[in-house]
Amino acid sequence: MSSDNLLTLNLKIWRQKNNKEKGEIVDYTIDGISPDASFLEMLDVLNEKLIAEGNDPVAFDHDCREGICGMCSLMINGQAHGPEAETTTCQLHMRKFQNGETIVVEPFRARAFPVLKDLMIDRTAFDDIIASGGFVNVNTGNAQDANSILVPKENAELAMDAAACIGCGACVASCKNASAMLFVSAKVSQLSLLPQGQLEAEERVKNMVSKMDELGFGNCTNEAECEASCPKGISISNIARMNRDFLSAAVKAKD
Amino acid sequence: MTEIKKLDGKVPAGKLQDKWDQHRFNMKLVNPANKRKYKVIVVGTGLAGASAAATLSELGYDVSTFCIQDSPRRAHSIAAQGGVNAAKNYPNDGDSIWRLFYDTIKGGDYRAREANVYRLAQVANNIIDQCAAQGVPFAREYGGTLSNRSFGGAQVSRTFYARGQTGQQLLLGAYSALMKEVGKGKVKSYTRREMVELVVVDGKARGIITRNVVTGEYEKFSADAVLLCTGGYGNTYFLSSNAMASNGSAAWKAYKKGAMFANPCYTQIHPTCIPQHGDFQSKLTLMSESLRNDGRVWVPKDKNETRKANDIPEEERDYYLEEKYPSFGNLVPRDVAARNAKQQADMGKGVGSTKVAVYLDFADAIKREGIETIKARYGNLFDMYERITDENPYEVPMRIFPAVHYTMGGLWVDYNLMTTVPGCFALGEANFSDHGANRLGASALMQGLADGYFVIPYTLGNYLASEGLINSDVEETAPEFDEALKTSKERFDKLLAINGTKSVDSFHRELGVVMWDYVGMARTAEGLSTAITKIKAIREDFWKNVKVTGTNDGVNIELEKANRVADFLELGELMARDALTREESCGGHFRDEYQTEENEAKREDDKFCHVAAWEYTGDNKEPIRNIEELNFENVALTQRSYK
Amino acid sequence: MASSMLKYATSSVVKKQVMGITGLLLCGFLLSHLIGNCLMYLGPEAFNTYAHTLVTNPLIYVAEAILATIFLTHIGLAAQLTYENNKARPQKYYVKQKTGRGATFASSTMPYTGLIILAFLILHLIQFKFGPEYVITHSGVEMRDIYKTVVDYFQSPIAVIWYIFCMIALGIHVSHGFWSAFQSIGFWHPKYTCLLKCLGKVFAVIVTVGYSALPIFCYLQGGN
Repeated sequence: MSSDNLLTLNLKIWRQKNNKEKGEIVDYTIDGISPDASFLEMLDVLNEKLIAEGNDPVAFDHDCREGICGMCSLMINGQAHGPEAETTTCQLHMRKFQNGETIVVEPFRARAFPVLKDLMIDRTAFDDIIASGGFVNVNTGNAQDANSILVPKENAELAMDAAACIGCGACVASCKNASAMLFVSAKVSQLSLLPQGQLEAEERVKNMVSKMDELGFGNCTNEAECEASCPKGISISNIARMNRDFLSAAVKAKD
Repeated sequence: MTEIKKLDGKVPAGKLQDKWDQHRFNMKLVNPANKRKYKVIVVGTGLAGASAAATLSELGYDVSTFCIQDSPRRAHSIAAQGGVNAAKNYPNDGDSIWRLFYDTIKGGDYRAREANVYRLAQVANNIIDQCAAQGVPFAREYGGTLSNRSFGGAQVSRTFYARGQTGQQLLLGAYSALMKEVGKGKVKSYTRREMVELVVVDGKARGIITRNVVTGEYEKFSADAVLLCTGGYGNTYFLSSNAMASNGSAAWKAYKKGAMFANPCYTQIHPTCIPQHGDFQSKLTLMSESLRNDGRVWVPKDKNETRKANDIPEEERDYYLEEKYPSFGNLVPRDVAARNAKQQADMGKGVGSTKVAVYLDFADAIKREGIETIKARYGNLFDMYERITDENPYEVPMRIFPAVHYTMGGLWVDYNLMTTVPGCFALGEANFSDHGANRLGASALMQGLADGYFVIPYTLGNYLASEGLINSDVEETAPEFDEALKTSKERFDKLLAINGTKSVDSFHRELGVVMWDYVGMARTAEGLSTAITKIKAIREDFWKNVKVTGTNDGVNIELEKANRVADFLELGELMARDALTREESCGGHFRDEYQTEENEAKREDDKFCHVAAWEYTGDNKEPIRNIEELNFENVALTQRSYK
Repeated sequence: MASSMLKYATSSVVKKQVMGITGLLLCGFLLSHLIGNCLMYLGPEAFNTYAHTLVTNPLIYVAEAILATIFLTHIGLAAQLTYENNKARPQKYYVKQKTGRGATFASSTMPYTGLIILAFLILHLIQFKFGPEYVITHSGVEMRDIYKTVVDYFQSPIAVIWYIFCMIALGIHVSHGFWSAFQSIGFWHPKYTCLLKCLGKVFAVIVTVGYSALPIFCYLQGGN
């Protein structure tokens, strides 16, 4: 609340001009940061300062700033979305940092997430995975009355747990293997838990996994760092469910 | 003096209940084999854009989508919390299509088109069916049927929801339908593209110019129709609950190419947002208004109060809503609650370090219901509040304040969702059509999806078939495209060349303050005139003194922002102008001069029962205020009261 | 047909499942080997006779071939997966910190503990299976005195320490691997997964303590 405990911070930020050039860590010092500011607002202040000095502001992805759009990312002191559990970067506040602290800010890194500029990354790979099967093949107008298919409450709740994924990529960023299993399994699980998604469940899991592999993500080693750093707390039980679905699909496949 | 046009909403004849059905029959169809020859551009991939693009592609059209973000899934529809309305009447509590229609038109303070609203209520049921079929995990009862809740003061339970993330789930449903088409190679999805110009050839919308925000390249895209699904313009106020990238630029470009802008002054201000805490603040976060079911709103009686909330004795607290509106108390509608909060702050009775907030106190509710019950009801909201403010609302009262949330105004469209530029359609929050002067809770999601899934697929076909444009593909080499590309490029180059001393955000903040103070919750003729003068001055200053760093090549976030703020600086003026000329109070537009003895919005139905559709006449020239008369044949216009 | 089978077999999910299944089979081998080792405590005759019965059974070649296949598959896939995982993040982080809520020491050192076990395995085969051959006669049957080979080897304290070190690595490896295999195959349950994690740890302790006891036992027997 009060303004007498403003923070001075040493920032080490990854700067990279574009996709082709090499980047480096650049040091900045910033003061007068309110503990009530969000992490992104702190970067806004830094950018205002850089602009005033005629320098290029730090590019970073952000949009809704209320933790739901999945646009913001950032590795903060080596952790995806920073140290707080179940919190996106935009909802991380500076009061979680000490005065005089050094904070390292890097982009999410993975072969499948190339850096576009500074802290901005390209997560088109996630769209490609969804396009390969993350849907129910039902055209508009085909739907029957919503209550004609009953869904057990427990399944609806589990599906909702999985569907809460915001597609930010923290799972990939925090995984030591840059694996996208949590992201893919969340969508596979959501749809396979509901009767509406059952019909295509086998095709879906096969297609999505093979797309994921093709895009160059790593393999899952069941460490659960993805779950731990997921801002929506998505459980690795979804990965187990996907593994099971995939195995069964592979065994039953006729081709 | 230019003549005022009377716009025709092209509402079909016949009984209200039959209009849409009859219209669907009367509309022309495109031969299935010809559909793939038509190119359709969809700008924006929120609920309206994604659902329209997916559906049109399913029908066979050649669709391209464009969004500013890195993925179509990021659109701000994702942030809607509450739910989506439909008159399914599953709870058997007396709901019907007619009741949903009536509530929506009354909620909009009788400033929406009857036929549009009725159609919205009609197709709402199909939305629920469609979303359930897509695998949207709606809340369910133990028997496996869908759950409903009552929302926003409605007397029936007609709101379907997926926890507090309904917008997210519906958007992801529409997004997955879109990606299904992308996967089949039928839709081309262009991400990180900003529409910077609408291309009009022979009086018809035939394409757009985009700027690739990663490379800075300008690109030309031609089509047979352009759908603008680009959301609202709430960010004119700088601080709002809108996402950072939400902007009015695409709609503004269309406005400048001849699409009229309707009712820009209708803005919705949400009463329960987390208040601003400092100048560095970038946006406001909304909390569900369900909090007012149990929280009591108050401010200290003494302006100079310095004690902490819990130390202020009961008799020194002013529960102003309960006092003023004894029957509704803390549950008065959004606009009333919001206006009263601002009044208290303006009187100097605000709380917190900034004095622009009021308390929302749960102490009584916790005493009455027990902490566990309150936790079960609002746990996630309380957690969110604590994360942002570092205060525990179980122990100290929350501080809340109103914030701009939704804009009912937008591009004028006829019954077919077409703007005054043939071939240019506007869907969702980007158009003005269904909410009148005030939107009810859980109706935004309904409208976005109704437009995209169930209206545009029919009306677009009718346009294409009627125009007989069988694949009359406009070449991107047409001079109009080059001209438009040149205009945009020059504009961006101009922004870069100013090289002044003030940052883009500083102008945006300045504009925001003017908008909030004069074009906010309570407006006066004098204030609005002041606003127009001030905005003009800021705009002039902007074009002389803005500093945009970097170049046009590659990522340049400042340049993107500058382009949007330049448009907000014009849009804001139009909002003020519209508010000034609408000499009445209705819904989200409250003029101090026009209120009942109960301080309620007082409509002037004799003079203002119409839509104001503004026509662009040139930069820095006065726009023309055209009108579309609103005829109410099925409902009686009443004055609301909450005393 | 064959190509599509190969497609599934080379998918990341199936590769992990094969890792898990071979791992579990190897856990079974560890257990049976441990039980066999316990015969050492009963003296040379019991142990040597057991070993002799095993190696003279003609099926041993089949069994050894299967076991070798399991080992080689597990090791080969491990190498491939690790290589792919490294490739998935070409530019490493400047700073990387664990959340403290997910990865464990065991889970993050799987490739290293695996390498230690591989080194151990090779030495183990050299030292024992292909080690010094002594002959002894029990109940009129002439057989290899593997008992002496083992006891002799463990007279060196360095050998004992190396062996125990490797068994600790093995314990760490299986403490993650055991539960992880079930996850990869797709078994997850709110109650039983917890139980499996515990079971994995218990199994790890049994393996480490069980195997480590033997060299100490041998060392304490002294030279004979």
